[in-house]
Amino acid sequence: MKRTMLTLMTAFAVVTLMVGMVSAETLKVGVQAPITGSYANEGQGIENGTRLLANQINAAGGVMGQQIEVFVCDDQATAMASAICARELVNRGVKMIIGSYTSTAAEAAQKIYYDAGVIQTSDGTADSLTEKGYWTFLRNSFPNSAEAEYAAEYMVNVKGYKNIVVVSDFSSYAVGLADATVAAIKARGGNVVSYDKIRADSQNFTPVLTNIRSKNPDVIFFAGYYTDGGQLRAQQVALGIKADFIGGDANDNPDFIKLAGSAATGAKIINVPTVDMLPYDLAKDFIRDYEQAYGERPPSIWGLMNIDGMRAIIHAMEQNQSFDTRKAVEYLWNMEEPLEGITGPLQFAKDGNRIGSSYMTFEIQEDGSYKIAHQQ
Amino acid sequence: METFLQQLANGLTIGSMFALVALGYTMVYGVMRLINFAHGDMVAAAAFVGLTVYTQVMGQATSLFAVVAIFLLTAGLMACVGVILERVAYRPLRTAPRLSAVVSALGASLVIQNGIMLIWGPRMRIFPELVPQQFWNFGGVVISLIQVLILVISLVLMVALYLFIEKTRMGAAIRASSIDQDAARLMGINVNSIIALIFIIGSSLGAIGGLFIGLYYRGITFNMGWQYGLYAFIAAILGGIGNIPGAMLGGMLLGLFSAFISGYVSSTWADAFTFMLLIFILIVRPTGLLGERVAEKV
Repeated sequence: MKRTMLTLMTAFAVVTLMVGMVSAETLKVGVQAPITGSYANEGQGIENGTRLLANQINAAGGVMGQQIEVFVCDDQATAMASAICARELVNRGVKMIIGSYTSTAAEAAQKIYYDAGVIQTSDGTADSLTEKGYWTFLRNSFPNSAEAEYAAEYMVNVKGYKNIVVVSDFSSYAVGLADATVAAIKARGGNVVSYDKIRADSQNFTPVLTNIRSKNPDVIFFAGYYTDGGQLRAQQVALGIKADFIGGDANDNPDFIKLAGSAATGAKIINVPTVDMLPYDLAKDFIRDYEQAYGERPPSIWGLMNIDGMRAIIHAMEQNQSFDTRKAVEYLWNMEEPLEGITGPLQFAKDGNRIGSSYMTFEIQEDGSYKIAHQQ
Repeated sequence: METFLQQLANGLTIGSMFALVALGYTMVYGVMRLINFAHGDMVAAAAFVGLTVYTQVMGQATSLFAVVAIFLLTAGLMACVGVILERVAYRPLRTAPRLSAVVSALGASLVIQNGIMLIWGPRMRIFPELVPQQFWNFGGVVISLIQVLILVISLVLMVALYLFIEKTRMGAAIRASSIDQDAARLMGINVNSIIALIFIIGSSLGAIGGLFIGLYYRGITFNMGWQYGLYAFIAAILGGIGNIPGAMLGGMLLGLFSAFISGYVSSTWADAFTFMLLIFILIVRPTGLLGERVAEKV
């Protein structure tokens, strides 16, 4: 008798628990981003933006009646931590992954999300990200090759630089951008006098720059990240190298200017429009809400690109009236009209690339502001 | 030629920063036979403390007086932290097996590193341009004011330390403690205060090294202590650990070596060559360049 009671009670408990779980079902969204380390600034921008969008959608009734629940995992911008994050987030049952910031971290996690059928949307710009045929990957930025073509065109044909130096670090993003830029410069008949690599975070770049100086460059194109870019620019000026400095998109961060200090003036950065230059109403509203929620502006456009990726996936799910990830991606591939986005029109090609490109060159002014130096 | 001279200037600048940090390792090892793995993180902490002193205490003043005050205050604060570190993490283990103290040192390193992250956050913090951006061009070799300051101040500090150790009674007490602690105690030397003194000197020199890193590179991160600590540790071993002029020589040589390797071979290989140099030295002269050959009692 006692035993039957116990069985009944257990059964009852199990059933209530299951009912409880069903009624509290949520749309689980994972954020994989560098929350600590050198790129913490960007990672936190992605996390904050995702939470803000989730709160906004939840306040409006959620996605098809389900509330969004956000899970965050810190990948420290390393491949190793990234793979651990991917497994953890998949085990939590997320439907989509927002991030990561770096191509290296996004690439290390791709296969795990693909195997689990989880959509991954990242601002990583390495071309290799969309060359593997994983249907689960959607790039919400524009690939390196588009930036490389623009940078080469600007340096060779617009500015007419004679001696070009390209510098990169060892990350998949920077090597991808640097290789593509070197190839695009050569295709236009430009002259690359030196292609050097530096170790990210090693701080002491003067030995490499001293060698570069002996080659009398007209321009130094740096394909790495802002933490190194700012110091590279400062040390370039300290060594008396008169060449122009052009940083790739990942140098577009306020910390670049702070690190370079007085040497920042005159440095150029190639990127899609900055946060302050986005002309769309959607962008102005979202940035205003972001400032209200966190007391600061989004650190860069990259976080907003990721938010656009998330918006596109949720839009597709709502249009399909289904949480099926494969169907959502197929919907995005076959959209006839682009979806309005924070960072511009959103449309995706079958390989997962975002369609379009809007690169321009900015010159840093004495007061730290940007002036558009060249536009396509 | 101008490339060579420029690399020489680069190497001497970073070499003197390595040397300042290496002194902290070598002095502690000399007296306690302990590798103070937390020293690198103390250097990183000093950079952050210096930045806070600048913003909070000095009210972002950039006068010469303010800069000197930042150095003195930071060095003083870090000396206190060094003494506390010794009291908490090393003194209770003085008689324990040597491995326990090493594990305690590694633990202290993690505590300090994560402490910096909790207090100042995980983001890179940026030093203001406290030293005027002044450059001199000597026939193509460009040297900046900050480089000259780093080199001169480091050399002055190192000479002062050398004279202190060799010429004063207190220095003699330090030397005696490093040869034999028990005998030193029997001669009336208070070994505990000598060890505290070692931590005061080592931590404040490390603090000045940390501030130089902050002023020269301008970007500081909570985990940078590991990198500079490792280089300084190699420098200390290179010169002969426990030997004070050895640490100075080791630091300078390591700075020059890594500048020339990055400049003439490849910056990619700089670290690999640095470690190869370390292995080579350890094989050929296990006690380092200036270390004395000691018969190990087995």
